[in-house]
Parts: sequence; structure tokens; C-alpha cells
Amino acid sequence: MTPDTPTYPILAAFATVLFPFIGFLLSALAGKKAKSGFLAIITIALSVITAGYTFAMVWGEAPIHAQWHWFTIGNEAFHLGIFLDNIAVLMLLVVATVALPVHIYSVAYMKGDPGIHRYWTYLSLFCAAMLGLVIADNLLLTYICWEIVGFASYLLIGFWFTKDAAAQANKRAFIINRIGDIGFLIGFALLYSGFGTLDINALFGMEGLFVVPAATDAPASAAQGGLPAGWITVAGLAFFLGAMAKSAQFPLHVWLPAAMEGPTSVSSLIHAATMVAAGVFLLARIFPLFDGTVLLIIAATGTITALVAAYFALTQFDIKKILAFSTVSQLGFMVAAIGIGMYPIALFHLVTHAFFKCLLFLCAGAIIHEMQHLSDRHQLGIDPQDIRQMGRLRRYMPVTFATMLIASLALVGFPLTSGYLSKDALLIHAFEWAAWQQGVAHIIPYVLTFVSILTSFYIFRLLAKVFFGPTVTAPLANGQAGIHDPSFWMLGPMLFLAACSFFPLFTLQPLHYAHAWLLEGIGVSTPWAPIPLLHVAVPAVTTAATLAIAALAWHWYVKGKYALKTDGLLYRFSLHQGYLDSFYDRVVVGAVLGLANILRWLDKHLVDGIVHGLAAIGRGLASIAGWIDRQVVDGLVRLVGKLAWGLGSMLRHTQAGRLQGYLSSLFLIILVILLYHFIVQA
Amino acid sequence: MQALVFYAFSAIAIGSAVVLVSMQNMARALFLFFIVLFSVAGLYVFALADFVAITQILIYVGGVLVLMLFAFMLSNKTLLDQLQRGTSHFFALPVWQALLISACFLAILVYASLQLGTFQPAWMVAAEAAGTTIGPADSTVNHIGIHLMTRYLLPFEVVSILLMMALVGAAHLTRKEANP
Amino acid sequence: MITLTHFLIVGACLFSIGLYAVMARRNAIMVLVGIELMINAAVLNLVAFGRYDSEHYGGQAFALFAIVLAAASVAVALAIILNVYRHYKTINPEDINHLKD
Repeated sequence: MTPDTPTYPILAAFATVLFPFIGFLLSALAGKKAKSGFLAIITIALSVITAGYTFAMVWGEAPIHAQWHWFTIGNEAFHLGIFLDNIAVLMLLVVATVALPVHIYSVAYMKGDPGIHRYWTYLSLFCAAMLGLVIADNLLLTYICWEIVGFASYLLIGFWFTKDAAAQANKRAFIINRIGDIGFLIGFALLYSGFGTLDINALFGMEGLFVVPAATDAPASAAQGGLPAGWITVAGLAFFLGAMAKSAQFPLHVWLPAAMEGPTSVSSLIHAATMVAAGVFLLARIFPLFDGTVLLIIAATGTITALVAAYFALTQFDIKKILAFSTVSQLGFMVAAIGIGMYPIALFHLVTHAFFKCLLFLCAGAIIHEMQHLSDRHQLGIDPQDIRQMGRLRRYMPVTFATMLIASLALVGFPLTSGYLSKDALLIHAFEWAAWQQGVAHIIPYVLTFVSILTSFYIFRLLAKVFFGPTVTAPLANGQAGIHDPSFWMLGPMLFLAACSFFPLFTLQPLHYAHAWLLEGIGVSTPWAPIPLLHVAVPAVTTAATLAIAALAWHWYVKGKYALKTDGLLYRFSLHQGYLDSFYDRVVVGAVLGLANILRWLDKHLVDGIVHGLAAIGRGLASIAGWIDRQVVDGLVRLVGKLAWGLGSMLRHTQAGRLQGYLSSLFLIILVILLYHFIVQA
Repeated sequence: MQALVFYAFSAIAIGSAVVLVSMQNMARALFLFFIVLFSVAGLYVFALADFVAITQILIYVGGVLVLMLFAFMLSNKTLLDQLQRGTSHFFALPVWQALLISACFLAILVYASLQLGTFQPAWMVAAEAAGTTIGPADSTVNHIGIHLMTRYLLPFEVVSILLMMALVGAAHLTRKEANP
Repeated sequence: MITLTHFLIVGACLFSIGLYAVMARRNAIMVLVGIELMINAAVLNLVAFGRYDSEHYGGQAFALFAIVLAAASVAVALAIILNVYRHYKTINPEDINHLKD
């Protein structure tokens, strides 16, 4: 640690990570006794406090970097450290702040679950890993945290592992994340081989090897790095692959809708701040690495993701699936923002999205909770997540409705909400970028605008069906449902997040993003000239479109005048999520299984054959040795034995116990004596 | 003439003995033994021992042989069969061993006898010189009777007691026990 | 006059034959007969040498004793053979090998 580094923010940041980790350890040690979640909530609350302190100390100041020697491989020393710049402290604060309401919400939501002690343990680990990822100062440490985040999400998605769907979902999430992890691994291996360091500050800091390019077209690194430009591109793509898996970009998004099998509170955390944000955060962190080609690919991928996910969200019936595709779509926006070089905008959108998406999920959780109660009480046996079963919930759950409406408005970017600020900033910059780029790049902003209109449609469809529309569920229709707003433990976090979804948190100017403190803190200068017309036109158009779509949704779903056929190709394609799942099942899983079968065959017949052949040779040698042993060595031993035995059996005859035998020997001796006598005489 | 008769007796004795030991039939063997004993008794006569020859005939032929025949014939049927069957393998291993040893003995004895013919012991030479050899005219029975009652009285009595004990023992051994 | 050597050779022959019978025959009675033959050979020697002792008649007197003892021994031996047969159900001396152990 350099002497002039202020230690308090570093210690506070460290504590921010440490608290949930301690919570995790204590919960794990306490085992089944840690039912209340008290530990987890206390630790995450402490984390929020320290994160707030860190944020206050570092935001707008020079980055702080502290590191300690970790280990040495050969001559290369690795360091363990904390790097705090504006991005890091911002994320630190957001993650902790979003995690706290989720924790509190979980107290009520998860009450009575038999595996609740596991839940708190996993949740603490999840938060600790994500916080660690944010403040890590080198890519290796980031990668470790990245893996722990993936692992913890695996545990949480499969929390109800006895459900087959949950087990499948967490397996899928884990496998797809592994694909991304390989990309990450390749990426930082390339960087290390080129530059000999993984230190984020040294690579991407203000005076790093990659100076933030003034123009997105030509990264400065190409001239001075130890890595050829082509490899830089490859490394950028590899990192992007990692981010694609983590942030659920098309076509690796399939794990995220499947991850809805986990508890809803976990979904909210995954979608808002912890898991999917990691990918976007990583892209922002290593932004200087990307050259023009990679950025273009990123922008295209983000746009396609945004479009496809919004399209899939149009027809889903599962409330959580709709929100999941909404998340994928919004992540597409963020990635597209990175692709156009405006990573501050991406982060801005990430932060606003974190709050309102978390809120959306918590509201959905409250609805599901109540619907489950309803189903249990009346023995209806309905799927509590199916929006076709819902309707008129506004009457029963007014507060929930209000908060969800706020979140939805933020999602569509309605004025006065935080979403309005970030999304408009994003769209405007996209248009400006397209104007600056020329050519086919114009497609991107138009597509994004179209997607934002689609967003309005699916979210208003959701609201209309759930809160207003006619219902097929009898108790809801006749007013005898007996469901109500959730308890304070759930409502409190929702209200808090609803408050965070309004504009004053980010800027005092409700209609224009330019003075948002967040963008001022991490903003970068744009290479293009602002087009003033857009700053008026885009918000106006999107707001008008939103209002129109809302009216359409009201007309279709509440009034029941649905105008479209439900058996069209586009409809079915959307409902089945583009048949991607079955495509993956058939092509990827099938191919892998086929390959496994081939390998198994090879293993069985070729490898085992060789092994068996060797074994047979060995056996043959052994049997030859055994024969020699038996016949030669044993033969010698046995010869000695036989000699002794023969001698004994020869002598034995003299002791046969037969009188005549004794008599014979007696006479023989006499004979010998006589002979001797005569010989001596002679 | 005398020598001729001696050789005849000798031939009968030795031939009968040879046939006797190689014979399987028990009863015939015993009768051959009878012949052997008679011819040996005849040889005693040639050795100027008339009384010994008579005793040989009386005791052996009249006693021992009759005892054997009685024992042989009076024993039960199974024993009789057993005795009739005799040995099954004449040229078994012990046979040639026995033959070898016997032949060696014969050779040594004959050699010793021939030696004796050439180098007579001193006492025999002295006896011949003193003329104290038994002549054909001497009354051996008279002299033996005197010597048995005087010089050999103790052995005589001991032998008689021994004989008595042997008879009692034999009777005791052969008595049928109630529960053997 | 028959010389001493003649008697000795006849005695030797009888002794050897008896010896053979004692060692080779598988029949206790024949063994007994062999013993008797050997005794007769011995008696023949006694008698033959007894010719040179007219003073004490030692040869002939002890020949008599020997004959008597032989008769006694035959009696006892026959009794033993009968008992052995009763016990072992055989008179083959080969089979009577309890001295072995």
C-alpha cells in the first residue's frame, strides 16, 4: 500500500465485502438454527452503511488503489487489492442498497420454508461475491468473485432443488455461465500473456496501458501494448462472451427466464443488481480494451437481445417470465449503450434499472404470494404465476398496484421517473452515435426505439391483465378472495424502492438527464456533436407512444376487445421463445450427448481395449513368471524336500515294526561281524 | 558204505528242508519237517549220539510235531484257511533279502567249517592225543545217565522246572477266555 | 568214519535254510519251523563236537537240554501264535507291526 493512500475508504470497502461474507460463514456454521435471517440482514445493513461511507469518501475524488502481495508464480507477483474509483463505489452502493430491501422482503416472503437456513447462507454468499467483484483490483480476483457469483446463483436458482424444473434451471444457468467463464478466462489469459499484469488500474486506469480513447474508433492501446491488434480484438470478444453469458445476451439468454424457478426474491436480486449487472459492470470496467470491431459487435448483440427479448415478452403468461424477458431486453439496452461507447449511460441505466426492476419483482413476488394463498385456501390448484388467472387485483392490493405502476412507468421511461432519464439518455446518444457513424448504424437507434415501444406494450399488458382485466378465477371475480396487500416486512422494501424509482434521486431536473450527478461523476466526452432536436423529439415520441400503447392495452385487455389472432406464426414464435430452448436441446445438448456417446464408445472399445491388452500381456508375463516360479524354483525346493522325504521313507522301512525285518537286520549285523572276524584273522 | 548212508541222510535232510521252506501248503510242509527231523536224527547216530537221536525222535517227532499238527488241525476253520492260503508273493522284496543273507551265512559257515578241518582247536587235538574221544563202542546212554545225575544235575533240574513253567504258560495262553 | 567237517557243512545248510524261513515266510508257523530247523542245526553241531569229549559228555548232554528247551519253546510259541491270531485275525508277521509306533 502506498503511504499516501487514505485507508479509511479502503477499510470501509473491505468491510462492505467482509460483512456479508461473515454473515455467510456464521449462517453456514449455525446451520439449521439460522432461520430468522437476522444475521444476514444485520450484515447487509452494515454493508450498506460502510458502502455509503465509501461512496461519500470516494465519489468524485481520485481513484484509490491499495494492494497487498498475494502470491508469486516464478517471478510474477500477484497482488490482492482493492481499487476504488467512481464506477466501483457506485456499484458498491447500488448492490448493497438493492440487496438490503431484498433481504428484508425475504423475511416475510420465505417464512416457513423448510430450507430457509440455506437461503440466508446462499444469499449472504451471493452478495459478498458480488460486492467483492465490484471492488476487486485485478482481473484474477474479479474472475474468482465472478465464479462465486455464478456458483451462488446456481445454488439459489436451484433452491427448491426437489422441483425438477428448478434442478434443470440451475443446471442450465450453470452450464451457460461456464461458457461465458471460458470467454473470461481466455480474455484475461490473453491480456496477461500480452501485458504481464492483470491489474485493472494498470491496464485500464487513467494512466494505464489502455488510455480511454478519445475517439471510439481507434484504441490507443494498439500502438503501445504488447499484444497485436488482432489479439486485442480476440481478447475483447472473449471478455464479451463472458459478459454475454452473465448478462444474458442473445443467444445465451436462455438461462435467465429458466432461472425464474428460484424464489422470487432471489430473482429480483439476480435481475436487479447482482448477477446480470456483473456482465455490464465488467464491460464498463474493461471498456478501454474494446476496439471498433468489438464495439460494433457489442452494439449489434445488445440491440438484437433487446429486440428479441421484448418480442418474447409480448406473449408470455407467466408473470415472472415476462419480467425476466424484460430484464433481458433492458440488459440489451445497456450492452448496446456500451457498444456505442457510452458506458456511463449503460451504468446509469443499470442503476436506475436495478431499482425499478427489483421493485417489479418484489411486487410480482407479493402477487404470487397472495395468489398462492388464494389457491391454497380455495383449493383451486391454479398456477400462482399465471397472469390469465389474475385480474382485478387492484381492488385487493392497492399499494402493490401503486408501486408496480411506478416501477412499470420507470421501465417504459415515462417522464418524472428515473427510467425516463436513463432510457432517453441512451436513445438520444444512440441516435447521435448513428448520425456520427453513418451507414447501417442507423438501424440500431430505430430498433431500440421500437423496442422501447414494445416494452410499453408488454408491461401494460401485464398491468392490465393482473390488476384490471376480467378474471376466470371465481373468488377474485366475486370479491370474496380475501387477499390483501402484504405485510409491512414486504411492503416496506417495496415502498423504499418505489421512492428510488423517481427522478429526484438522480437529478433535480425531471425532464433532462444532462445534469444527473451520476453522469457528471463518470461521464466522458462524446466525440460527436449533440443534436438539440433529438433532446426534445425522442422523449416526446417515446412518451406519446407509451400513452398510445397504454390506451391500446387498456382497450384490448381490460375491455376485452382483443383484436389479434393467437395462432399466427409470429405469436407462436414469441410464445415459445423462438423455439430456442428446443433448438438448444436438440442441437447443442443432442450434439453433446452424441459426442459423449462416441467418446464413450471410443473409451470402451479403444482405450479399454488397450488397457485390457496391456492387462492381458501383463497377465501372460505373470503366468510365465509363475510357471518358472512353480516349475524351476519350486522344483528345486521340492527336490530338496523329495530327497529328504525319500531318505526318510527309505530309512522308515527299517522301522517298519515287523519282527522279521528286525530279525533280518540282526542277522545282517552278525554276518558283518563274522566277516570282519574272518578278515581280521586272515 | 557208511559215508554213502550219511550222504543220503544229509541229502534227504537238506532237500526236504529246502522244499519245506518253499512250500505253500501248510500240512505238507509239516510232514516234510517230520522227514527232516528223522533224517537229522539219523545224522546224530552217525555222530555217535544214539541217545540224542532217540530223544530227537521222541520229543520232536512224538511231541513237537504232534503238537504242531494238533494246533494246526484243532484250530478253527478260518485259521485253517488262513494257514492253507499261505503267502501270496513268493518273490517279494524281503524274500531276496532273506535269500541273500542266508546265502552269505551259508558261505561263511561253510568257510568256517572248512577252516576247522585244517586248523583244529587245541582242545580237540589234546582230546585226540589223550584218547578221550567217543568211540563207536562206547555206551553213551550209560555215561549220559551218570553225568545228568551228577555233573549236570543243576541244569537238569532247571530245565525240568523251565519245562514245567512252559507247559503251564502254554496252557494258560491257549485257554479260552470268557471275554478277551 | 565221517569227519567233523561233513557234519558242520550239513548243519550250516540246515541253519541257512532255517534262517531263510525265519526271515522270508509270511506264516508264523513256518517261521516257527524255521527256528526249529536252526535249533536242529545247532544240536547237530553240538553232537558232532561232542564226539571229542568222552570225559564229560558235555556235547550230548547239552544237546538233550537244547532239544527239551526247543520243545518247550514250540509249545509256548504255538500258544502265542494262537493268541495273536485271536487278536489280529492273521498269522502273517508282516501285518503284526504294532511295534512300529
